[in-house]
Amino acid sequence: MTQSLGQKAEVGGATGSMLRRIPADRRRKAIVVLVAIALMFLPLIDRNGGDIDAAANACAFAVLALGLNIVVGFAGLLDLGYAAFFAIGAYTYGILSSWQVQPMWSDFWGPFQWLGLVARIHADGVPDVVHFTVSFWLAMPICGLVAAFFGALFGAPTLRLRGDYLAIVTLGFGEIVPIVARNTPYLTNGAIGLNGAAAPKIFGYSFGVDSNPYYYLGLLMIAVLIFVSFRLQNSRVGRAWVAIREDEIAAGAMGINRTHLKLLAFAIGAAFAGMTGAFYVAKLGTATPDMFMFPVSVMILVMVVLGGMGSVYGVVLAAIILQLLQSWFLQDLTSWAHMLGHAISVAWLQKVDLVQSIELIFGIILVSMMLFRRQGLIPAVRATPALSLEQQTAHAGRGGFAVPIRGIEATKVEPKRAMLETRKLTRRYGGIIAVKDLDIVVESNTIVALIGPNGSGKTTTFNLITGMDEPSSGKILLLDQDITGLPAHKITERGIARTFQNLRLFANMTVLENILVAMHSRTTTGPLGAVLRTQQSRTEEKDAKERAIEIIEAFGNRLLPRTNQLVKELSYANRRRVEIARALASRPKVLLLDEPTAGMNPMETLELADQIRSLRGMGLTVFLIEHKLNVVNDLADKIIVLDHGEKIAEGSAEEVHSNPQVLEAYLGRKAAHA
Amino acid sequence: MSYSDVLLQQVINGVSLGAMYALLALGFTMVYGIIELINFAHFNIFMVGSFFAMWVLKLTGLIGQRVILTGFPLVGVLLLALVGVMLFCGVLGVVIERTMLRPLRNVPGTAAMITTIGVSYILFNVILLTQGAAALNYPNPMPNVFWKIAGATLHLREILVWAIALLLMVGLNVFVRRTRMGKAMQATAQDQEAARMMGIEVDSVVMLTFFLGSALAGAAGLIFGLYYNFTSYVVGYTAGLRAFTAAVLGGIGSIPGAMLGGVLIGLIESLGGQLIATRWTDVIIFTILILVLVFRPSGLLGRLVPRKS
Repeated sequence: MTQSLGQKAEVGGATGSMLRRIPADRRRKAIVVLVAIALMFLPLIDRNGGDIDAAANACAFAVLALGLNIVVGFAGLLDLGYAAFFAIGAYTYGILSSWQVQPMWSDFWGPFQWLGLVARIHADGVPDVVHFTVSFWLAMPICGLVAAFFGALFGAPTLRLRGDYLAIVTLGFGEIVPIVARNTPYLTNGAIGLNGAAAPKIFGYSFGVDSNPYYYLGLLMIAVLIFVSFRLQNSRVGRAWVAIREDEIAAGAMGINRTHLKLLAFAIGAAFAGMTGAFYVAKLGTATPDMFMFPVSVMILVMVVLGGMGSVYGVVLAAIILQLLQSWFLQDLTSWAHMLGHAISVAWLQKVDLVQSIELIFGIILVSMMLFRRQGLIPAVRATPALSLEQQTAHAGRGGFAVPIRGIEATKVEPKRAMLETRKLTRRYGGIIAVKDLDIVVESNTIVALIGPNGSGKTTTFNLITGMDEPSSGKILLLDQDITGLPAHKITERGIARTFQNLRLFANMTVLENILVAMHSRTTTGPLGAVLRTQQSRTEEKDAKERAIEIIEAFGNRLLPRTNQLVKELSYANRRRVEIARALASRPKVLLLDEPTAGMNPMETLELADQIRSLRGMGLTVFLIEHKLNVVNDLADKIIVLDHGEKIAEGSAEEVHSNPQVLEAYLGRKAAHA
Repeated sequence: MSYSDVLLQQVINGVSLGAMYALLALGFTMVYGIIELINFAHFNIFMVGSFFAMWVLKLTGLIGQRVILTGFPLVGVLLLALVGVMLFCGVLGVVIERTMLRPLRNVPGTAAMITTIGVSYILFNVILLTQGAAALNYPNPMPNVFWKIAGATLHLREILVWAIALLLMVGLNVFVRRTRMGKAMQATAQDQEAARMMGIEVDSVVMLTFFLGSALAGAAGLIFGLYYNFTSYVVGYTAGLRAFTAAVLGGIGSIPGAMLGGVLIGLIESLGGQLIATRWTDVIIFTILILVLVFRPSGLLGRLVPRKS
């Protein structure tokens, strides 16, 4: 008995290991290809038109879910009015192809008639009118563009809001669009519904009311959008979205224009919805405002949540499951319940209608996924390889970075020039003056330390310089150029990088990804380049990765073995190192370090101090806040002392330490005079 | 009725609606003030409240508008329904918070908000599936007493609505300003971490906030039924969105702001319906919501809550 069990286990183990020998991504690819082939043959196996029709609708909703996944999953923006963009696309196609809008004929329409976009309709006794006959294949991208335009128009002022406010604003927008559609019957035929939108034609063959061509078109759309989603996700744009989702403020400090990128996600999502709108209306032949109300937005959200926010295959799977649940399973279940009800003569079972309970199921899915499985059916995250014992033991090295870091040298400025300067810099919070009339000059290629008791305005000064906070008055200059009031990402672009006192890493990204994000302002690949993977974008990505690895290598075996580990799995000291590496990756002229050695042991502190010194050797200017005075004395060419937001001393270590005001600030009046 | 009389009538209607919105807005604003969460479940706690109060009224033997009470029995029945529905909704709110929102309190991102949408959907559909889609006649024992003011009519039910709303709001204000727990709430709203260090049990404060907010939503549910003489599973959505707009307009996190915003939204709804067209009312209200959020996120009376970093 035990033997046979053992044998069985062995056999199972053997096939398991055989499967495991195939790399995970190839296994996944094989599954996807098999599923795709099976789906392509579905209409041949299942000859029931109703089933194929349901499957075509499922395709449309899968595309919508993929679009919303970019907004909610990739960029982390909760959009509760997504159906509004679906509606905009649907009505745009409806107007471009139906009998709904028929202006008077005039010569203006002549050229359009020649292009085949409109037809001249003649009837005896009445003036000629225009009939729009824009081809589906032309209209679909137009619908996408129109929806994207509205997405941008609406998003531009609202995307600056906090995430939860955005949710409610999108909810409002989602309400407004169907109401406007209902109240403008001239364009939409109101609640009655659009009049006869044309079916797509290809080489003279009209799709008509047959479901099969729509099903194949739907599959094609899903395939294209899966491709686009993956290309976007693994690109400069996708990384910037994750960074915004993880920590908006840090994303700004990495040189990411947050409003711009959120708008991009919003517009791309809207474009997907708009194109699906065209598809859906062409298939149905009509559109009514009820098709785009709040429950539709929620349904698409449920698909994204069920599949896993950010998980491309997950949302497609979830969309299909939920659509089939609605159009097949619940009906079957209902009839089984009725049969059971008759069999055991229970009255309510004979009348129960489970199809109506679909929204209840949606609610339960939302709550239980959030409580028990937030990553969704198919999680978007991947496992990280474990470290060997050798890789885990790190030795404190001395002497700083052995090899100069590319890009840092390139930004070299002639020494002893006023690199960073503040003039009468002031920040008030209500009655409190956090920074007052501060004049600082940081000369190029030097290390300047900013010290002072807690609450003396050091971090506020850093925040003002890096655009995280706006000065009440005063000026900030970088190489004599005024940078006061510029947004954080512009300041990073100009060449100031920083680390944060409390660490603001993107915890759910790998070390490598964190560093790649920081190169945002030094790279240019946009969404189009990312999707098409142009020559330029490929070279750029390759170069960025090489540079990132170089920077990681500079930290030796502290970081190199952990390149592909998630940052949240790192030790505190290693996170500090990643922050510095990340700041270096943006190729700064000035590096602002806010307590870089906090939480490090004495050996690690010395190691880091050497590294900072070697950065100066490469031509970088360093401005740091530090509490460990031995580090400051050892490193700094100049020390600036703040107390109550004012500069009380400035000079070399000896000068500062003998300054009575400094002693008073640090030790109190009595001690200073003792 | 002259045009000015019509407008006066609309002001009376608007203030009544506004009183209801204000009660509902208080729940949004209190929860947002304490844990920075937009609670979509609040929409349908209100709706469930209107159903629960209806059942209580029916249990006392009221049928539609046929049974009219006066004097002590009228006050007694209404008080019973009010206290009953407030307790029921308060407990419902606490149960939702305790079982579904507390585990997500420290999860970053949109998880908690998505959960409240799910809860809202569950409440909505449970009522739809068990009570049906048709609007139900609401038991209302109030005699049809009214006064003529200029050309407009002021009904007893309007005075009653104002009285309940005013009483609850004054009570809430006194509670928050004067009592120990009220002060704990204020402290938690300002800085949760600091409040915890001062020995305040933040969990109890959050539960209390949900209890009070949901109880007020329950009261608003009763008021809705008495004012319109009907209730239905859909009433939570529209009223909830308007009340949320009211909270934002007044300044989210601000209790007087929610009251002011409620009355303003009520007036905008009734006067806007009169002066423009009822079918555009929702568009007007949502446009206000969007404009306030974009141009003055702190609302009319709100303090700008420091961004949590």
